[in-house]
Amino acid sequence: MTDDIDTLPSAPGAETTPRHLAPGEVGLVAPRDFIYSQPFSFRSGQSISGFQLRYETYGTLNATRDNAVLICHALSGDHHCAGWHTPADKKPGWWNNLIGPGKAVDTRRFFVVCANVLGGCQGSTGPSSSNPETGRPYGILFPFVTIGDMVRAQKLLLDHLGVIELHGVIGGSMGGMLALRFATDYPRFTRRVLGMATTGRESAQAIAFNEVGRQAIMQDPAWNRGDYTKDAGPRVGLAIARMMAHITYVSDASMDRKFGRRKKDTANSDAYTFDVQFEVEGYLRHQGQSFINRFDANSYLYITRALDQFDLAHVDGTLEQAFAAVEAETLIVGFTSDWLFPPEQNRQLTLALLRAGKRASYAELSTDLGHDSFLLESEELYGLVRGWIERDQPYVFDYAI
Amino acid sequence: MTKLVEKRTVDMEIIGDWVEPNTRVLDLGCGSGVLLDYLVQTKKVSAVGVDLELAKITACVRRGLAAYQGDMTEFMRAFPDQHFDRVICSRTVHELGDPTAVITEALRVGRALTVGFVNHGFWKNRIDMLLRGRKLRNPVYTTEWFESRPANPVTIADFEHFCVAKNIHIARRAHLAGDWHSPCRMLPNLFAGYALYDLAR
Repeated sequence: MTDDIDTLPSAPGAETTPRHLAPGEVGLVAPRDFIYSQPFSFRSGQSISGFQLRYETYGTLNATRDNAVLICHALSGDHHCAGWHTPADKKPGWWNNLIGPGKAVDTRRFFVVCANVLGGCQGSTGPSSSNPETGRPYGILFPFVTIGDMVRAQKLLLDHLGVIELHGVIGGSMGGMLALRFATDYPRFTRRVLGMATTGRESAQAIAFNEVGRQAIMQDPAWNRGDYTKDAGPRVGLAIARMMAHITYVSDASMDRKFGRRKKDTANSDAYTFDVQFEVEGYLRHQGQSFINRFDANSYLYITRALDQFDLAHVDGTLEQAFAAVEAETLIVGFTSDWLFPPEQNRQLTLALLRAGKRASYAELSTDLGHDSFLLESEELYGLVRGWIERDQPYVFDYAI
Repeated sequence: MTKLVEKRTVDMEIIGDWVEPNTRVLDLGCGSGVLLDYLVQTKKVSAVGVDLELAKITACVRRGLAAYQGDMTEFMRAFPDQHFDRVICSRTVHELGDPTAVITEALRVGRALTVGFVNHGFWKNRIDMLLRGRKLRNPVYTTEWFESRPANPVTIADFEHFCVAKNIHIARRAHLAGDWHSPCRMLPNLFAGYALYDLAR
């Protein structure tokens, strides 16, 4: 997921009302921590003595405790999906355009929960957390994490919050994988699933890109087999991994529109240097640099590995068998320009659910923004989400002919 | 309520009569899901629709229907033989690029197939064409030639011939008069405005 979601220019007069106080926004929000202090076993067989998940909630859990909507983030995302932490924040949470009072995911109706995944580095337990046995960061002694492990940890959080049934779970990219795993692993608990730009398993190409990212990190001498302090580590490797991954989140057309072959104003008039000359170079370098300030390289290794290992069909033989227990109504949304998790992979998920006799829909949006299209500000997308989450009252037929 | 809506409910009723309760139904070209919604409400079917347009899929999702955006033939190829109890192809055949492929696939994935279409051979159409010598324009054919999509109009005689040529069994047929309301019992290719066929292999 990219960092810079293009937001619409603010309306005239927006200066008078700060955005975090505007109606239709969740406003100022604060993260919280869920501490699970019992042993937790990973699918790999390894275990830890407990874990922490950082999360945010918006809206209120109703008396029947069944109006919760879980938001699942993508590889580099986090728990902060709506609102502002401080009035000075430059940007709201990453899915603020979708979530809020009166928005497609309406926080007046729904209790929205979003947690940083297990293995992450934004406040949840992961390889950068302190290993209680050594007092130092786990590094690569942290257990291997799977999408299923992330889901199990988030289910424990939802239990802690008193949620007895998920009205829905929404995720794009890796978040879609988590959403699907909720449906297969907790079929009675999960009423609705919305997966966007997702897949039941990565293609060789997607694994290949992840591997290049991991190699960039691991070949950086500062990686030191995962043993580094918080301020050090493989900054060069992680930045390169991010630069390359970023390209896979967008598209040829969107990069061309945004940068074309434009040169930086500061570009040296001498073309025969390796300094930044094109805007796209400067942009990617900026992406890499901002990423290393917020993301842990070992988490990047662990989470990309979890993405690669994810294979719904492999667990049970076929996708249909994997979906056999699913009770959720599922909506899968693909995006025409997504070449990382292309429409075909999204269609295959829907078709397998339908073959398994489940209620599943597939919709496809024509965009040229690539994989990150799921973050698009699009009334068409909002309409789909609303239809899926809210549902009209049943239509009445006039049987008189 | 416009007259067109009323006409619609007549063929909906016949289509519904041919659907067994609690069965699995696929609607090819489901539009906004009006027919499937009707079948879910009256026959408790397990329904899925296919359509090309995002707005139609959104409308179906809003009704709580399963709907798939994409090509109907490719969709059907993803399913095993006789996965559906009935496939419905209502007011769609004349828009198909390859009607034989669609109907053949529909008879493979479905135990039965309902096809409903406007009879292009209806006498008023013939006279209109003869006298005006221009593309039909009436409440059924609403668009000018230059604002129309390519269409492949079909008559009852064409369709019956197709079934013979492709060795498709016609289990039931229903021909409605020009009002699309009362049954048409005589010379349907001339006097029927609308036709419905219940097909099987």
